Amino acid sequence: MIITDNLTKKYGAHTALDHLNLNVNAGEIYCLLGANGAGKTTTINLLLGFIEPTSGSAFINQLNVKDDAKATKRFLAYIPENLMLYPNLTAVENLDYFSGIAGKTLSKSDLKAFLEEAGLQAEAFQNRIATFSKGMRQKVGIAIALAKEAKVLLLDEPTSGLDPKASNEFGLLLQQLRSKGVATLMATHDLFRAKEVGSHIGIMKDGQLKQQFVAEDISLSELEQAYLNTMDYKELAS
Amino acid sequence: MITKTFLKETKELLREGRVRITVIIVLMLLGVAVWISARQYQNVNAQYAMAKTAERAIWDNQGEKNPHSAAHYGTYAFKPKYPLSLVDQGVDKYAGTSIFLEAHKRNEAQFSAAADQTGLARFGDLTPDFILLFIIPLLIILLGYNSFTKEREMGTLTLLKSQGISSWKWLMGKWIALFFPIFIITALMFLVAGIVLNNLNDFGVFRWDSLLMMFVVYLGYYIIFINIVLLISSVTKKSGISLVVSLSIWILACLAAPKAASNIAESKHPYPTRQEFAANVLKDKKQGLDGHNPWSKEAKLLETQVLQEYGVDSLHQLPFNFDGYRMQKGEEHEAEVYFKHYNYLKEQFTQQSKVYRGLAAISPYLPTRFLSMALAHTDYATHWDFADAAEAYRINAQKFLNDNFAENSSYGEWSYRADAETWKELPAFDYDPPKLESILDQNASNMGILGVWLVASFGILLFTTKTV
Repeated sequence: MIITDNLTKKYGAHTALDHLNLNVNAGEIYCLLGANGAGKTTTINLLLGFIEPTSGSAFINQLNVKDDAKATKRFLAYIPENLMLYPNLTAVENLDYFSGIAGKTLSKSDLKAFLEEAGLQAEAFQNRIATFSKGMRQKVGIAIALAKEAKVLLLDEPTSGLDPKASNEFGLLLQQLRSKGVATLMATHDLFRAKEVGSHIGIMKDGQLKQQFVAEDISLSELEQAYLNTMDYKELAS
Repeated sequence: MITKTFLKETKELLREGRVRITVIIVLMLLGVAVWISARQYQNVNAQYAMAKTAERAIWDNQGEKNPHSAAHYGTYAFKPKYPLSLVDQGVDKYAGTSIFLEAHKRNEAQFSAAADQTGLARFGDLTPDFILLFIIPLLIILLGYNSFTKEREMGTLTLLKSQGISSWKWLMGKWIALFFPIFIITALMFLVAGIVLNNLNDFGVFRWDSLLMMFVVYLGYYIIFINIVLLISSVTKKSGISLVVSLSIWILACLAAPKAASNIAESKHPYPTRQEFAANVLKDKKQGLDGHNPWSKEAKLLETQVLQEYGVDSLHQLPFNFDGYRMQKGEEHEAEVYFKHYNYLKEQFTQQSKVYRGLAAISPYLPTRFLSMALAHTDYATHWDFADAAEAYRINAQKFLNDNFAENSSYGEWSYRADAETWKELPAFDYDPPKLESILDQNASNMGILGVWLVASFGILLFTTKTV
């Protein structure tokens, strides 16, 4: 569902992403770990078509992002680190607008059903987004993905800044989407959440994918060790 | 997507306190301006009707009198206030309301409203055209300056792009959301003005098609501003910068360009001073026949020609009073002199208008203002038309009086008195302003310029938002 083939992005002499090869199938959650500047967000921006690759290709549902950027948007949903919605509109109105842009015409009850499925409390449906916490906004973001019936979900550090409860709820939502066959690529710093929700985990450094694991084949401590070693945090690793 | 974006933008606008307050203030200002203008319109037209009737009664009831005395006694041509002046008062305030029509002399219009006011009148009046031309473009800026920049600043642009938004549909949604309130406010104002005018049956002929045309012109003006404001919002990164740039354009287009146009037009094609004009007229008058002076070279030449033409030896033998005939010939010479000098003024006015049209390339305000005034019959062209009609009436009136003198008395019979009923035979002055078709024809270039602004601003906006 998500494929990158030697995907590379250079900014002058600086290589932000270096020959990345990824394959995320339907029903998989691929967590990309790495420090700031590792190339995680660049990967997501390339998959969204926001920036063009220097070389290599990215594919969403077998469509080349560079050639069919608009068509690929039909299949994907994106939740950035800080999901910003329209503060003067309610949750229902925001969902209605964003799903409308994606070409979905939904009834009020459908909209509420998606918000409910995303875990938002019913009493918040008609509240303006300005009053929402980050966790609540992320839930609206998930509702947007649900309403869009996205096959691909791109998440850029979505649990950053969430309290443990909200982060846990978010993880559960991702598992729900996984069960529906959604292919998810999540850039994160959160090793624990990556191990918890991911089916596959990759560690990036300096634009390169250094290591990949199947999540169930590795324990959290082994993952932590691998991460610290990859980052060259020798003293912490020992 | 267009409808969704339109509804979303409208909800956002309605939920913002600053927008609600601003719209209420603009509506209140418009209401007050229409009310003040309607009262002024009624007062002025009541005065006009009263003055016209009274002046005609004075003319009709002069009693027995020598026609040339009546010619010097004179009468007035009053300029009516036209219905659409309620919307745009144009230059009416400065152009004068009546012209004194007398023998030998073409007078300027006098008794302008501005002359009756104190220096405080420099602050200007609260009129609908002020709101329409200056305040509503400001409202457009206030409503639309952050239309695109807010998406960047709030971070919603990223999510929108990830949803596969269509740039032009998104733009159209935003465009309609900005156009809709402006359309409602403008339509409301014109509808109220139309209803008020339609119910004032006593004065002037109100035409809905002229009002509709004016409405269309203003909508065109606002569409241009909407396009400019959205264009600026789409290319700037921050709302603050967008606001400052939009306001700068407003200052340039609505305040600076008209004043610069006025200065440039006046310096390139200056009007003569009043003294110069009067001196030039007097000089040319002296080079021709003076109807009052039977001893001048020109009068003697005329006398010789007429005696030859009629084959008689003495002016007494002519079948008419030569004094009256000479008066008429003198009038004709003077009318030609005035025609020549006023034509020069008109030519200067035409050249100045061309300068204005040239500067319309940097300001959509200029063609809109000219069209609005022309449709309201409050522009200088209409004033010229009125002054020309008054002059034509004066010339005919002088001929009527001189002919009466010439035909009903004999040479040297200055004691002749025309019958008291004679004056009623002179038709009253009646002026019909240019028709809508003629106005549109005369203002084709202004409409063309406005059209170019519309198309160009739309084109650039569509092209630019592709890259948002």
